[in-house]
Parts: sequence; structure tokens; C-alpha cells
Amino acid sequence: MKEYIEQHIEEATAALRAVSSDEIAKCMVQIQRVFERDGRIYIFGNGGSLALATHWVSDFNKTVFGHNVELHTKRFQAIRLPTTEEEYSAWTNDVGHDSVFVGPLQNYLQEHDCVIAISSSGNSQNVIKAAQYAKKRGVPVIALAGFDGGELNKLADVKILVPTPKGRYDLVEGAHGVILHLITWYFRDYFEHKLAKKTSHGKKKNK
Amino acid sequence: MIVIRAPLRISLIGGGTDIPVFFRSHPGRVISATIDKYIYLVINPTPLVDMVSARYSKTETVSHPKELEHARIKALLLDLGITSNIEIGSFASLPGKTGLGSSSSFSVALVKGLHAHLGRSMSAAEAAEKACELEIDILGEPIGKQDQYAAAHGGLNFYQFNCNGSVTVEPLLLDYKKSAELQDSMLLFYTGIERHASDVLGQQVGQMKSKFDSYIALSNSVLKFRELLLKGDIKGAGLMMHESWLAKKKLGSKVSNKTLDSLYSAGIKAGAWGGKVLGAGGGGCFLFIAPPAKHKAILKALKAQAKKVKLVGARHIPFSFVESGTDILFNNNASHQV
Repeated sequence: MKEYIEQHIEEATAALRAVSSDEIAKCMVQIQRVFERDGRIYIFGNGGSLALATHWVSDFNKTVFGHNVELHTKRFQAIRLPTTEEEYSAWTNDVGHDSVFVGPLQNYLQEHDCVIAISSSGNSQNVIKAAQYAKKRGVPVIALAGFDGGELNKLADVKILVPTPKGRYDLVEGAHGVILHLITWYFRDYFEHKLAKKTSHGKKKNK
Repeated sequence: MIVIRAPLRISLIGGGTDIPVFFRSHPGRVISATIDKYIYLVINPTPLVDMVSARYSKTETVSHPKELEHARIKALLLDLGITSNIEIGSFASLPGKTGLGSSSSFSVALVKGLHAHLGRSMSAAEAAEKACELEIDILGEPIGKQDQYAAAHGGLNFYQFNCNGSVTVEPLLLDYKKSAELQDSMLLFYTGIERHASDVLGQQVGQMKSKFDSYIALSNSVLKFRELLLKGDIKGAGLMMHESWLAKKKLGSKVSNKTLDSLYSAGIKAGAWGGKVLGAGGGGCFLFIAPPAKHKAILKALKAQAKKVKLVGARHIPFSFVESGTDILFNNNASHQV
């Protein structure tokens, strides 16, 4: 039993280590840009990836500014697509499963937004359709993919790839979870740092 | 209507090596950072008015773009075949001719904005290249390519202008702490002296061949400067900027003058590690790199010296780095079909 557990931890660690930190840094830059231009971040994926997207949005919209929420008048606007289960089932039922992300994205997307597309295989057609639509509109696409990256990794502007053997959803989704938390915590620390500087300057001025 | 904005930039090192006469023989290199001062353009289709309007410090309304006085708007409208039913207005956080690259920021915003007006989206690299084509090839300005690339891409970047004409863009991925430290050590001071980059650069380009080795040394020094920034050695970068400024002054007699030299000395005497005139030189803004604790004293010294040499418009410009490049902020032209 212990051996099995340790081997899994080894594999999970190795998968995470194989991710390019440059690409994660580029992702931070893209998100910073969206913040500066008051744009929105749309995130989506299937199954476990959709759960990651929902989890990230709730963390990101609140936790980043959580400590001094009232002092941060300008905040992030991250939105999971589709925004409700009802809308998800309506697109699937009425138009087809390939439309569940691109459908709502077409309703909202503006040139100053950005998109985070999650697909472990990188080949989920509904995810790719939405990413292609964003690309067509000149909107940056951040991809979180696994295995060999698939089609999604090829078309993305920022390629966060967890390279693993095909089918290792466990490793890919686990690493994606860590990376999404990393993004949240980076911006949390960044805004805390900025605020600390601002308030210490303010104090000096008041003296 | 389309609203588009392009950031201004501070050029840290390597300016001059981005001029085609140089980089066609030896790779040119620069490092620059975009700041939270922008040029905004509004592009509005006017289907019922068969005229072209350009609103900047002047307002022009003409029946065909060939009658426009504004050289860039005129050239680009003609190039893209837009001859009527359009209004273009520009707004800026700072005046032009300050050495912050505003004229190229304007060009990139215009290029990307007019393409969006035609329903075409453009990558940062495409917008930068098209703006270079507009300014250098079509309008024949003796300028380099760094400002167009800085405005289009945004952020703190290393640019290499390769001999074959391609451009390598590498972001200096500093974390927020290092980036804030660098920003907090920088002082931006406007001299109040307006200058045309083309006047300064025109002379430099003429003398480039005789000073080719100095340009090669400048281009190579950018690699070392990048290492210092990545390490977070701000003092080292400041001292290097000082050396680089002394060398740059020898590249053309219009880069500096007695008034600018007196301001620079005042800044260094008050505790700055280094600094430079931003952009081509001859006026505009000074950038100093100094320990934050010395900023107050440096500003006091600069203001006193500016007063002494009767620079009435001289003032401190507080700024922050931004990651933004040229971005469309608003577009309600109904042309986004899947």
C-alpha cells in the first residue's frame, strides 16, 4: 500500500515539475493585462476540468482580494462558462454538445477579454471550438492541457501543458489544480503587496 | 465605434540600434517598459456623412483623406482604401514630443484600430510591423522600430532586431516584488523641452557608419543589462545606464546639450546611480535610477536646476509599469461573425 502511495506522489510531483514556469509566468502577464483593461476572464472545461474551472472562479473572484476586500475597489471579473447548469443543458439539448462553451462565449466575448480553456487531452471538441472562436476575435487563449497537449495546446497563445502518458487524467487534473491555485495566490500576494505599499505611503503623507 | 489605447514606454537601453541602417548589418537590441500613460483613439463610422474627420490638436473635416494635413492618418487611410464616412479622434495622458514614444504609440493604435474598423483582428507583431511600415517606409521617417514594438506588445521586454528583418520579443518575467522594486527606484522627470525625434535621429543616422563600433558595443551591452535586471541588481543597472548615457551622448551632437547636461549632473550629484534622456534625446524626459530614499533630494535638485535654466514646464511624472500593449477597449461594430 505504502509503495503504491509513494509511487503516485512521485508521478504527481514529476508531472508538475515538467510544466514550463515560463508559460505560467506568461499566463500571469495575460491576466494582469486583462485587469488593466477592465476585461473579463472566461474559463471552461469538461467533467473534472469544469469542476476545476468553477473552483478557480470562486477562489479568484474573492480570495485574491479577500483580506482587505473593501479597500480593493477594482477587482477581477472571472466567469465560468456556461454560468448555470440550466444554460449548459439548454445548449446541449437544443444546439448540440459542441456548442456548450462557444455558445455562451459568443454572447459575452469582447476584444479586451481573455479565455482559459481546460482539457486534459487537449482534444475536447467543445473546448477547441470555443478557443478557436476566441482566437478569431483576437482574444488571447490560455490553455491548460495534459498528455501531448493535443489540438488545444497548438492553437493557444499561452501553453500550460502537463506532459503525461495518455489517459493519466489523475496526474493532469491534479497538476491543473495546483497551477490554478498558484495563479490565485500569486495575484493575492501581488495585490496585498501593492496595498501595503500604498497604505504605508499614505501614512507617511499624513504625518 | 471603436475605442483603442496604446501605452507610452520608457526606453531603458539600446536605443539607436533599432534603426534599420544598423540592424541590417548587426543585430540591434533594446529593453523598454510600457507605463500607465496612454494614447486613446476613437474611431467612429459615420454612414450618413460622406466625409473624413480627424480630431487631434486640430480638427480637420475633408471630403477625401488625400486632403488631410495629419500625415499618419492620411497615409494609412489611403493605404487601407478608407476614403470616407469615418471620424478619428485622439486623446493622450501626456503631451507629445516627450521621448516616451507617443508618436509610434499613436501609429500602432491607428493601425490596429483601423483594421478592427474593417473587421480584421491583428496580432501585436502584425500591428507593430504595419506601424513600422507606415512610419519608416511610407512616411520615410529616419526612426527605429523599438517604439512600435513596445506599444504593440506591452510590458518590460527585451527586443532583438535581427539582420533578416525579423524581431525577437522576450518578456523579462520579473515577479511582482522585483518589478515593484525596479519601478520604485525609477524617477521620471519631464524637462519641458519639446523635441522632434526625427531631428535628433536624422543626424545620428547620417553619422552611423563612422560610429558603427560604438553601436555594436551598445547593442551587446543590452545583454548584460538584461542579466542585471533579471538578477534584481538595480544599483548595477543604474550604474550601467550612467555609462551607457555617457556613451550615447557621443553618438550625435543633438542627443544632449548644456541644459540637459546640467540637469543630469544635478540628479547624479543628489544621489542617482544613473540615468538618461529617454527616446532620441535633445529634450523630453529624464529617467533616473536611484535608491528610493534619495528620490526626494533628487527631485528637489532637479527642480532647482530647472528653475535656474528657466525650464518652466519641467515637472515630475509619477508612473507605474503596465503589462498592457495596444488593446481594443470597446468595439460595437457588428462584424464578428463565426
